[in-house]
Amino acid sequence: MPDQKITLTVNGRKVSRPLNGAPRLLDFLRDELNLTGTKEGCGAGECGTCSVFVDGKLVKSCLMPTLKADGAEIQTIEGLSPVGSDLTPVQKAFHKTGASQCGYCIPGMVMAATSALRENPDADIEEIKERLGGNICRCTGYTKIFEAVEIARDVIAGRLPPVTLEADETSDSFIGANVRRIDAPSKVAGKLKYAGDMVMPDMLHMQVLRSPHAHAKILSIDTSQAEALEGVECVITSADVPGKDGFGVFVHDQPIMAREKVRYVGEAVAAVAAETAQIARRALALIKVEYEELPGIFDAEEAMQPGAPVVHDYAPDNLVKHIPVRKGDVDAGFAEADLIVENTYSTQQVEHAYLEPEAGLAYVDHDGVVTVVSPSQNITHHRHMLSEIIAKPINKVRFIMSAVGGGFGGKEDMIYQGMLALAAMKTERPVRLVFTREESIIASAKRHPARITYKMGLKNDGRITAASLHMISDGGAYGMSTEGVMRKAAILSLGPYDIANSQVDTYGVYTNNTPSGAFRTFGGMQVQFATESHLDICAEKLGLDPFEIRRRNMMRAGSTTHTQQKLETCSIEEVLRVAEEFCRWERGAPTSRGAERRDLNGPDVRQSCTLGARFRMPGDEADEKQEVA
Amino acid sequence: MFTYDSYHMPLTLRDALEAVAKLPSGGRVIAGGTDIVPWAREGRAGDVHFPVLVDVSRVDEFQGYDLQGGRVRLNANVVYQDFLDDAVLRANLPCMPHCAIWFADDQIRQQATLAGNLVNASPAADGTPPMLTLNAEVELVRLDSGEIARRTVPLTDFVLGPGKTVLAEDELISAVICDALPGYGGSFQKVGQRRSLVISRVCAAALVKTSADGRVFEDVRLALGGVGPVPARLTDIEDMLRGQPVSAGLIAEASVKPAERVASRSRVEYRRHVVQGFVQAAIEDALAAAGAPRPGQKDREKAHA
Ligand SMILES: Cc1cc2nc3c(=O)[nH]c(=O)nc-3n(C[C@H](O)[C@H](O)[C@H](O)COP(=O)(O)OP(=O)(O)OC[C@H]3O[C@@H](n4cnc5c(N)ncnc54)[C@H](O)[C@@H]3O)c2cc1C
Ligand code: FES
Ligand code: FES
Repeated sequence: MPDQKITLTVNGRKVSRPLNGAPRLLDFLRDELNLTGTKEGCGAGECGTCSVFVDGKLVKSCLMPTLKADGAEIQTIEGLSPVGSDLTPVQKAFHKTGASQCGYCIPGMVMAATSALRENPDADIEEIKERLGGNICRCTGYTKIFEAVEIARDVIAGRLPPVTLEADETSDSFIGANVRRIDAPSKVAGKLKYAGDMVMPDMLHMQVLRSPHAHAKILSIDTSQAEALEGVECVITSADVPGKDGFGVFVHDQPIMAREKVRYVGEAVAAVAAETAQIARRALALIKVEYEELPGIFDAEEAMQPGAPVVHDYAPDNLVKHIPVRKGDVDAGFAEADLIVENTYSTQQVEHAYLEPEAGLAYVDHDGVVTVVSPSQNITHHRHMLSEIIAKPINKVRFIMSAVGGGFGGKEDMIYQGMLALAAMKTERPVRLVFTREESIIASAKRHPARITYKMGLKNDGRITAASLHMISDGGAYGMSTEGVMRKAAILSLGPYDIANSQVDTYGVYTNNTPSGAFRTFGGMQVQFATESHLDICAEKLGLDPFEIRRRNMMRAGSTTHTQQKLETCSIEEVLRVAEEFCRWERGAPTSRGAERRDLNGPDVRQSCTLGARFRMPGDEADEKQEVA
Repeated sequence: MFTYDSYHMPLTLRDALEAVAKLPSGGRVIAGGTDIVPWAREGRAGDVHFPVLVDVSRVDEFQGYDLQGGRVRLNANVVYQDFLDDAVLRANLPCMPHCAIWFADDQIRQQATLAGNLVNASPAADGTPPMLTLNAEVELVRLDSGEIARRTVPLTDFVLGPGKTVLAEDELISAVICDALPGYGGSFQKVGQRRSLVISRVCAAALVKTSADGRVFEDVRLALGGVGPVPARLTDIEDMLRGQPVSAGLIAEASVKPAERVASRSRVEYRRHVVQGFVQAAIEDALAAAGAPRPGQKDREKAHA
């Protein structure tokens, strides 16, 4: 890499030094100048966590070769409110409206908002949305961010008093009051350090070799050439695990790195710790792995058939977990029905796409305590599992939870912390691993795809006499949270409806797909999608209003759920009433309406972003707005 | 991972051409970098190491644009944001602001050059269809026995296929030269998975000039991208409309035809469906930009019935 020299001004200070191998402006700012408020969420120009001003124009620093900025004036998030000065109105407004949640997108968002108002101090909401279009946030849903930019705009223009940006006065009660987050100032200023921002003296960088095969036997791994490469400190494989290998939220079926065979594309096979990430990547190419491909299984239903390829020897039927729940007598219930409605619903795999890719830093401290810093959503459990894996007593294992730049369930699995611990033990140096976005997508758990077969018996008046729900979920290659997700799906399956006779079965199944794990709702979304869709279809068949069919079946205080819980209170009646009123629902069976509905697209329905606000012409009608996903 | 050994930023055309003539194998010209840098990633080209990168974005002759004799000369470093921010370009290239607003985002547009977009020659590159409607030519330069030699190639001949152009290894684009069409209404339509995703599925550009009373199509220019290996002008539709009275029925009729051209390798049915709606919307939006009233959804359905 180049040792060409670069001279530029960063946040008002002149910097003149060799590139030291930093290929992109983002690397130079983060690694050479330690300005870690600028983040790398994707490295491909998609997310905007890396936005900085170059000669007054906002750009994505992950796409800019460092030398392109030679002679330029750079401003980063740290430069917006330099040491000793107050937060800017934009930063204060983000604090005020609660626009920062996990905070990982926030420095970039603040930069984009600042740019929008510098370019056009009078930008209206459409133009603000348009100008922030290059920045993604996975937490807030954007509303609070847009609100913050509008407040900041009006304060800067003098239309609102500066006090608008200060905390609201609260009385004795916080309920109903607008309370500012205490961690927001560090996020809006780019000061909060996430795991990937942390450095330690003498730190090594890890890169991971991943499986190109979905199902294959590992015949041999030759790491000798990689180990011989200058700058490489260690190469680890499953052979380096001193204790009992295996982790998972329920069943400990996943080794730290693939052992004997690989079970999905992207599974870790070996890892290198080296002086730089670039050297570590070069070393990966020198590791020789001999595989013997095995037939794979990619469909959960097929995986349940006799004779299907077996993913784990301990589970010859590929079953991770089956949760059956029974109530009443379903056969009698169906016999009593006037109408039986059957249907199958399927949902797909979903990636969490938290803006902070997985990252961690491990070291062995002066007392020999193996310490892992990472945005783990489950540190206590990780600590216990790791102590077994590395065969150390629990008091010699420590997990520190760094700020989580979005998790949504996706950071519950210990998919990389074990490798970091092993490398730190082997080298006795701190080791850091930062996933790329692509790596995060390929290696981390996804939401369970599900296929749900529903059968429901109803009386002509809409009352449900019986329901049976059969759900097959693709758990992927490892158990992870599958068992819990199946339990939760079974518990929430029938929704808030009082059904006398029911039969629920949820199955989590091994396949050679990317593992499925925890994801917001933990199985609830899949079954609710089926239940609520099914009720709408039943309402249509019976000529009933969709709200009405729900009212006729809803639980009430005193109802017993299918898991035999007796409810003391129940709020669904109130929820239905408010939902119906607020959406201006037009009553009637789904079939009774004409082509046009007046209850959709009302004034309180959120409209999507429209493009072209900057050159919008008079006469552009609302229905001609171009929509952006 | 994107890495390189040395990075040159020539300031003059001659220096740039000399650097390009000397490019070692694996060396590359770079402008905004918005194609090259993310290309060097997993899932695309993987780790790419460039022994030399020649950055042409500071070459003095590549800056800015000129208006001369009904044509605009867009020098190689004109970036997409210029089509939005520059009032002169907006007035003279009426389809370009619409194209630019759909192109990536404000930050990428500050870097992304029109020249780089054309060289990249993706079948769905957003810049090609509107530039076709503007009758663009590409000016290419190289060193020939030490002298700067230029040739001009019509854009229709410049793009040979996906990722392929007539650009020679030692050549640079110095400018894109196209019609200046003040008074025309312009539009651009695009469907993709996300606005900031690199590739459109299908895109369409239109330019329309009407008689002073707005009743007759004096000129119509249409082009489609993403429906075949190379973007193309819809000259038959243009001929069908030119000189005719503006009517919803005629526009509806014209929009049915181009769907037959869809020759992509994937999702043909979907693309055909989209193309019809697109051509119609492209003409209507361009008419509206030229000052005509915009038909509502109901009028459209009537015209098709
Ligand atoms: C997040 C994101 C969103 C994007 N969205 C879109 C989109 O909506 N629509 C779209 O069409 N594209 C899109 N792109 C692709 C890209 O931005 C465009 O193709 C851009 O115009 C490329 O220009 P550049 O200057 O950045 O090219 P570079 O990456 O610098 O170069 C591209 C190619 O052109 C060559 N080149 C550049 N200049 C010259 C020259 N003067 N002479 C000879 N060769 C030259 C280079 O060698 C290289 O082969 C997107 C990219 C990203 C990262
Ligand atoms: S846009 Fe640069 S890191 Fe995502
Ligand atoms: S606050 Fe925006 S991604 Fe978390």
